[in-house]
Amino acid sequence: MAGSTTKTVHDIFQSMEYGPSSSSSSTAQSWLDQHSRSLGLFIDGKFVSPTGRQSRTVTDATGGSVCTTVCATEDDISASMSSATSAYKAWNDLSCYQRAKVFLRLASVLQKHSQCVSELCELSQSPTSPATLVRLAQYYAGWAQIRDTSMPDWTPRGVVAVVGSDDCSLYSLWLKAIPALAMGNAVTVIPGVATALPSLLLAQLFVEAGLPSGVLSVLTGSDMSLGAQVAQNSQVNYLTYSGNKQDGEMLAKQTAGWGVPVSYSLSLSSVCPLIIFESADIDSAVDGVIETAFKKKREWRWVLCVQESVWDSVVARLRLRMTGMKSVPLLANSDRAVVDAAVQEAQQQGATLIQSCTPPPSGSAYPPTVLCGVAPSCACVVSPPPGPVLPLLSFRSNAEGVTLGNHSPHGQAASIWTEDLTLALECAKSLSVGSVWVNSHSIADPSLPLSGRKESGTSTDGGREGLYQFLRPTQSPPLPRSTPSSVDYSSFGSAESRASIPEGADPSSIPRSYQQFVGGQQKKADSGCTKSVSGPGGAVLAYCPDGGRKDVRNAVEAAAKVQPGWMKKSPSARAQSLYSLANNLEKRGRDIATSIHKQTGLSLEEASKEVELSVFRLYDLAAWCDKERGGVQLLPQSGSALSIPEAIGVVGVILPDRKPILSLVSLLGAAVAVGNAVVMVPSEKYPLPSLEFIQVLVDSDLPAGVVSVITGGRDQLTHALANHSVIQAIWYWGSKEGCQFLQHSCCSPLKRLWLHSEEEEEKQGGGRDWTHPSLLEEIWREAVVWKSLWIPTA
Amino acid sequence: MSARNPGIDLDLEWVSKVKVNTQAVLKRAQQIQGRKVGKKQWQAAWLLKAVTCIDLTTLAGDDTPSNVHRLCLKATQPVRHDLLKSMDMHDKGITTAAVCVYPSRVADAVKSLKAANSSLPVASVATGFPAGQTPLRTRLEEVRMAVEDGATEIDIVINRTMAITGQWAALYDEIRQFREACGDAHMKTILAVGELGTFTNVYKASLVSMMAGSDFIKTSTGKESVNATYPVAIVMVRAIRDYYLRTGHKVGFKPAGGIRTAQESLVWLALMKEELGNEWLSPHLFRLGASSLLADIERQIYHFVTGRYAAYHELPMA
Repeated sequence: MAGSTTKTVHDIFQSMEYGPSSSSSSTAQSWLDQHSRSLGLFIDGKFVSPTGRQSRTVTDATGGSVCTTVCATEDDISASMSSATSAYKAWNDLSCYQRAKVFLRLASVLQKHSQCVSELCELSQSPTSPATLVRLAQYYAGWAQIRDTSMPDWTPRGVVAVVGSDDCSLYSLWLKAIPALAMGNAVTVIPGVATALPSLLLAQLFVEAGLPSGVLSVLTGSDMSLGAQVAQNSQVNYLTYSGNKQDGEMLAKQTAGWGVPVSYSLSLSSVCPLIIFESADIDSAVDGVIETAFKKKREWRWVLCVQESVWDSVVARLRLRMTGMKSVPLLANSDRAVVDAAVQEAQQQGATLIQSCTPPPSGSAYPPTVLCGVAPSCACVVSPPPGPVLPLLSFRSNAEGVTLGNHSPHGQAASIWTEDLTLALECAKSLSVGSVWVNSHSIADPSLPLSGRKESGTSTDGGREGLYQFLRPTQSPPLPRSTPSSVDYSSFGSAESRASIPEGADPSSIPRSYQQFVGGQQKKADSGCTKSVSGPGGAVLAYCPDGGRKDVRNAVEAAAKVQPGWMKKSPSARAQSLYSLANNLEKRGRDIATSIHKQTGLSLEEASKEVELSVFRLYDLAAWCDKERGGVQLLPQSGSALSIPEAIGVVGVILPDRKPILSLVSLLGAAVAVGNAVVMVPSEKYPLPSLEFIQVLVDSDLPAGVVSVITGGRDQLTHALANHSVIQAIWYWGSKEGCQFLQHSCCSPLKRLWLHSEEEEEKQGGGRDWTHPSLLEEIWREAVVWKSLWIPTA
Repeated sequence: MSARNPGIDLDLEWVSKVKVNTQAVLKRAQQIQGRKVGKKQWQAAWLLKAVTCIDLTTLAGDDTPSNVHRLCLKATQPVRHDLLKSMDMHDKGITTAAVCVYPSRVADAVKSLKAANSSLPVASVATGFPAGQTPLRTRLEEVRMAVEDGATEIDIVINRTMAITGQWAALYDEIRQFREACGDAHMKTILAVGELGTFTNVYKASLVSMMAGSDFIKTSTGKESVNATYPVAIVMVRAIRDYYLRTGHKVGFKPAGGIRTAQESLVWLALMKEELGNEWLSPHLFRLGASSLLADIERQIYHFVTGRYAAYHELPMA
């Protein structure tokens, strides 16, 4: 600002510049000074600075040092976990009212220190308005208060770790930590560098608000490996991550095999479409673009899609509005070369630029830039460069606009602009993203669930929907922890099946040869191989196909083809299909009970009971079909907000050994009821009841491909499911190694995983009780993804 | 003044396609109100800019030659000379943009300004101000007489009945006739936005007024219950931008009614800068219709220069 102070009134009178904005950081500075510019770890309700630790420097926008933080070691993790474990009990023993009070007090403490919070966020380059944090505290105070009455069958997970990457925003980090606390968990926050200082301050304010010591700890480190180290601690029951994709992948690989469920919010790496239809208020849409696309710190990366008929008018307005906009600092110095290269490449491919000014020859700032006339195949659209650069695509019809928006590996959010209500609602329905903002963008409120589809994440944060990740059904035991085995990820499940010719069979009673069910047809395995199915005594009961990669491929192709239509069917039509499936099952009840009896050695009476329960279960699920439909959310702003459960897509299921028919029917029913297609792999040990069930499927009116059943080697089929990108979720019951393999390999492309190590569950008394009715809700919540829709009104 | 807007043929297809999303406009207005102008010399410079854009106005039943005379002289020397001098702005021709009076007072104003050797334009409201509910013939006559008396700017009011009922062609014809009656005098068209019902109607009325050759579009008469608000201004300046992008003609904007504080005048300037760019930050394309605003601005400038807060009596009255 050296030159600016010498500017005279007359200079400014002519140039009409805004002038420097005054920003003070004195409150935050004095807080940092109190801590001698070196913040410790926040463990057991206080700052601790163990000696002999490495430290990390937090810098401000100018690169100057603000403060140092401690890099936690194994000892610090243990200390924090042991205090968390005992604090969890005390915290969970409090009444809902007592917990709610803490959050309400936090809201007023935050208001009291809002200046300090906002300055500290600004200093550490993660600008956050204290009002959004106050809103978080107040919103979740309500959920803390009514937890027991509104979610009576659920219990907190225990100790929850919340991990953020260096570029993760404070809001998205605490959108996980605060609900986890509100549900009664103890929480360890592992923030990234930009959120470290505000997170430590928040922890201190939580204690001031009366949170018992140890319930919340904040551990800082040097990189993502700290998150993985925390996950490896045996006290942690759940880990959730928010941030960029690279760090998320690393975390997935490092946590594989530890038996901790991990969920990911990868909004930071997501590319979101901003679609302007010809029926839009173009000026407001352009305002929206200008506001969101050229920020220094962006929560979302956008691709602008404009209907051809209004292309010129959008471009003209962008050009006018962008003149005079200042260059935006890039996050890293190295970004400049990337941006230059991307812009140059786009130009070589014929793109024209709208640029607010010519880029400075060097340095880490770049002017807001729109790349006009690029296509989806251009590198700058596939992965937009960092910095204030926005690719602009055109489309012809409304339907093509949606297709363009959907044709992406990402599925975080979309902003659509139209004054046509019908178009807006149709478009919102067809976009496969977690959030749709109509005539608005980037709305973040805790009552609106944020959830990613496809590569954008597996976690749902916010709203009632986002609370369940921090809870488990009371009747299901906590997931057992494990330690990783040495799994060769490259060769897992790759053993070839060998054709075996049945020997020594008694010619008078040749065991039956079953077929599998792929794409609505009964088929042999593609390889032609079969496997023998043995009963409890070891005698060969039957032969089943030894399915493999190609069978999975065929089943997934059929599923992918039929699933969109199945999802679009009316819920009541899906309910009718499930009722008829239940009736067919009832008709074949005897055959199936016999197969259970023969396969598992269970008494015929017990087996019949399981079949009967399965029929009930299908009735239950059919009844749910058109009943549970999300809801209307209430936001402080004026408008209409909806949260809508939708189908995930194609789900792969590796069925458990226990309750072979009841588990199959429960998982199949829940998945199909909400509109998914499933590819099911029966238990390798007890496939017979599932093979018998194929007849029920053949007789049903489910469209071909909605359900496929493939038998064979569990590991081989797990590997095949993991390797197919169309499959969006895998529910797995099987070996510890299988769980580890899936955690390790399903992070890119990302899949939703629901993993159960049967051997570990047996040690703990057998895992979930398939007969319990509360199971229904748990499975149903696994089978849906949430979409939130926001239509603001005046 | 800059090149005039000759107007274009009425384009009803354009008018019919207008879409305005109310909540987005309200949000934008909030954003603009949050836009901070720098302190100290930045604030002083911006306030002086606001002074040069003021149409210093008196529109009261008890206006007489003597208060009009005072107004005219204040308009020619709006900020105390010593204050301007200490900012080195005394020789930069700081006056208000114009004075604005009722048709019957035009002659008085012209006389006072002439006597003071000032070329400051005199603006007159006309066409049955403020309601516009008089016959077209007398409204046209009113314009002609004001021009004859020496007004070089005419602030006309539109026929709200036509705008509310969507008779755009009829409205266009009326405004065309006013424009003809104005001759060389610049025409500012008052939409009386408080009475038009919706933002979409405001946008459409703005377009039709510009098509009919208005040099400025103006929010309100100051006599309606709802006057110049930021959201409605955003709708109008967007219409100006739209018209400019299609025809290349630049039309000015004049908010009026209820603008009283220096702080508000800064927001108005920021709004113009954000939406239309620096070119619209001059009296050629931007006016503030106000009477008591100037006193507050002068006090703020006094504070910048002296570091003290002025009593009203320290600054010359209008």
